[in-house]
Amino acid sequence: MSVVSRPVRGPVSRTVVRLGARSLFGRWRGVLLFVLPLVLVGLAVLVRALVGEDQDSAEAVVYNLGLAVVVPLVALLATSGLLASEIDDGSIAYLLAKPVSRYTIVSSKLVVALGSVLAFGAVPMGMAGLVLLPGSPSFALGFFLASLLGGAAYCAVFSWLSVLTRHAVVIGLIYLLIWEGLLGGLLDGIRWLSITRWSSEVVDWVASTELVDDLPLTYALIALVGVFVLGVRGTARRLQGFNLTGDE
Amino acid sequence: MSSPSEPAEPARAPTGVIHDLGYRPYAGPRLGERAVAWSFFLTGLRNTFGLGRSGRSKVLPMGLFGVMLLPALILVGVLVQAKDLLGLDAQIVPYSTYPLTTQLLISVFVAAQAPVLISRDLRFRTITLYLARPMRRTVYVLVRLASLAAGTFVLIASPLLLMYAGGLLADLPVGRETTRFFGAVVGAALLAVLLAGLAALVSALTVRRGMAVAAVIVVLLVSYTVVASIQGISVATGNETVGEVAGIFSPYTLVNGVQHYLFDSPRATPAPPSSDAMGLLYVAAVVVMAGGSVVALIARYRRVSP
Amino acid sequence: MTEIRIDHVSRWYRNVVAVNDVSMTIGPGVTGLLGPNGAGKSTLIALMSGFLAPSTGTVTLDGEPLWRNEKVYRRIGLVPEREALFDYLTGRQFVVAMAELHGLADAGAAAQRALAVIEMTDAQDRSISTYSKGMRQRVKMASALVHDPEVLLLDEPFNGMDPRQRIHLMELLRTMGAEGRTVLFSSHILEEVEQVARQIEVVVSGRHAASGDFGAIRRLMTDRPNRFVLRTDGDRLLASVLLGDASVRGVRLRSEGGIEVEASDFGRFSLVLPRLAREHGVRLLEVTPTDESLESVFAYLVSS
Repeated sequence: MSVVSRPVRGPVSRTVVRLGARSLFGRWRGVLLFVLPLVLVGLAVLVRALVGEDQDSAEAVVYNLGLAVVVPLVALLATSGLLASEIDDGSIAYLLAKPVSRYTIVSSKLVVALGSVLAFGAVPMGMAGLVLLPGSPSFALGFFLASLLGGAAYCAVFSWLSVLTRHAVVIGLIYLLIWEGLLGGLLDGIRWLSITRWSSEVVDWVASTELVDDLPLTYALIALVGVFVLGVRGTARRLQGFNLTGDE
Repeated sequence: MSSPSEPAEPARAPTGVIHDLGYRPYAGPRLGERAVAWSFFLTGLRNTFGLGRSGRSKVLPMGLFGVMLLPALILVGVLVQAKDLLGLDAQIVPYSTYPLTTQLLISVFVAAQAPVLISRDLRFRTITLYLARPMRRTVYVLVRLASLAAGTFVLIASPLLLMYAGGLLADLPVGRETTRFFGAVVGAALLAVLLAGLAALVSALTVRRGMAVAAVIVVLLVSYTVVASIQGISVATGNETVGEVAGIFSPYTLVNGVQHYLFDSPRATPAPPSSDAMGLLYVAAVVVMAGGSVVALIARYRRVSP
Repeated sequence: MTEIRIDHVSRWYRNVVAVNDVSMTIGPGVTGLLGPNGAGKSTLIALMSGFLAPSTGTVTLDGEPLWRNEKVYRRIGLVPEREALFDYLTGRQFVVAMAELHGLADAGAAAQRALAVIEMTDAQDRSISTYSKGMRQRVKMASALVHDPEVLLLDEPFNGMDPRQRIHLMELLRTMGAEGRTVLFSSHILEEVEQVARQIEVVVSGRHAASGDFGAIRRLMTDRPNRFVLRTDGDRLLASVLLGDASVRGVRLRSEGGIEVEASDFGRFSLVLPRLAREHGVRLLEVTPTDESLESVFAYLVSS
């Protein structure tokens, strides 16, 4: 029985993507991913029914609930389901004990995570924007783009967190609640280091809103891309030398 | 093990004896299910604050407890010292509003400790040991829920007690403060029961600790944000009723509304119940939610195989 | 010649030393890694499979380091013990996915072959969450065999297997070993190791206690007298005569008949016994060595 073993090339492995998609949506975790955007769009419909077309209310809903809460939570749920849970029960060993580049594994999983962000984050955000302000499609477009970019950055950060610690979900939540949420609302300086603020700057650029002051667009874009790249690199490097057993 | 050798003369009876120092079964009185449930409740309550467990598990609950007390301490300090200076004649933050202001801490506490009480037994299957004891399954569930609710109640009510003591120290009218404090304590109890029920239900369904914590926080956070947004918008546009109904969907606003209706506490939400019908709806919602989570929890545990 | 070489490897975590200056070479054939629970067997296998880095020392496969080297997995098949499987896949989907990740040209066919070898073709289309423990072990085996590796590392593979599956797996391992592959499996159950492994490595408390064929190890333990049970037609006479010889350390008459002899010099004893028996007219009915077994070797090593 001789088999020819080809090296697995290419940045994305279809097998890992398939496994990731099945793991996320074949289980109940997929249901939770539906609930968040449903709540967002539901609220948008309700507010539209109450208020009509109002810029301030629209911003309040799509920014406060959508960009600041739903998008990072979708990213957290997706990434933790793809990486943290496999590390937790050790099944990632089956992916790692293969002659597949760790970068390939990470980027394949991120493809699934980004797909979830697109389907359960960016698209519902665009829908909510259209429901609330059908007269200004740039509003919906701005939030759609910002959700995509911000969500990608969040996915990269959370996947790096997942390979660093067993308590990735809790720490990710603390980061969201305290850094992005509490402190971000209180201290203006946080905007230089906050993914939500960077993606808000993208909305400001596309939809001419004023969600965040005094943050250059180039900085925001570079920061988003930079965090994404660093997150992917950090995750892959950590997976290259990964202690599965031993450090109990 | 051989017995000590007997003396050579057959006339002398053997005087050796073997002392049974081995296993002894327990033959004393056994307390009934009630005592078992009570001690189980106490253990659960202690575990909620990390007592009786490792040092690391004390950090979060004790830390949160301290941080909950801190603002109350500051408020009391200001009240006592600067009462005449600032012309204060009541608590700076009303008793009933305090839990709403510190809701993040309360949410984190209940989200972190519910899995400790509920998910651990289910995930690592130690529940089979509990079910093999005189305590019945429903009693186990109710006692666990009670421990969690009691622990949460301690967390919510302690700063209120501190504020009450500070109020008495600052010579605020005793009768008025006591009635207000009493109303706030009732509210704290209701809030504790609602939060504990919700968190316990989520923890029993999720079983994995990290996900349970995340899910509870998400539910509490998102529900409050949505409700607050709806209430804000509904008040601004004049549809208060919508806002009042929305207030049912977050435990914090629900309990605050009930306190406003029953005890005439100052409101902390934009749209508290303004009519008797709405107030009764709020009270009914509390009962339904509390009862519903208990029923759902018992149903969930019925599916657990020993 | 596929060889795993472990060279003066230690692995510690905080102040717990899991593996303490172990050196061994695992070559072709079946090797059993034997040791009580907590001896460091899983740690050693994790070191050998590239999932753990040694704190000092090197672990190499034919000179190539195993840590941070994913190419080496083309030659290694790993059957971990406690890592959970993908519950949401069927057996076949899992093995096919593993084959695809190895870059096999015809993943489906390779998966089918692997599943046939471990006799799981009937259950392959059922979800893994419905599998028993033994079936899960076998699916893990299939995933480790699907790419025809030169090296097989199995961590407690017989855990949870019923006797029929155990025999089947032992046969499989023997076949693999006979084909020239390097097979290493860990166990704390002596009968399994005895029946399958030619070479054993004994690990006790993180230290490499012994290596080799168990009979050879036993003979190296000269400070422990060999024990025999003799059944004769003149127990007491032979016993008293044996005590007169220098090679005999102790003699005990058994209540159910027979003599237990402790001989410190095995070689001399084996010459002296028949001579003395003949000289005194005692017939030897049965001579049984009672500690030439893996169990007693193991007990001696562990208790030291």
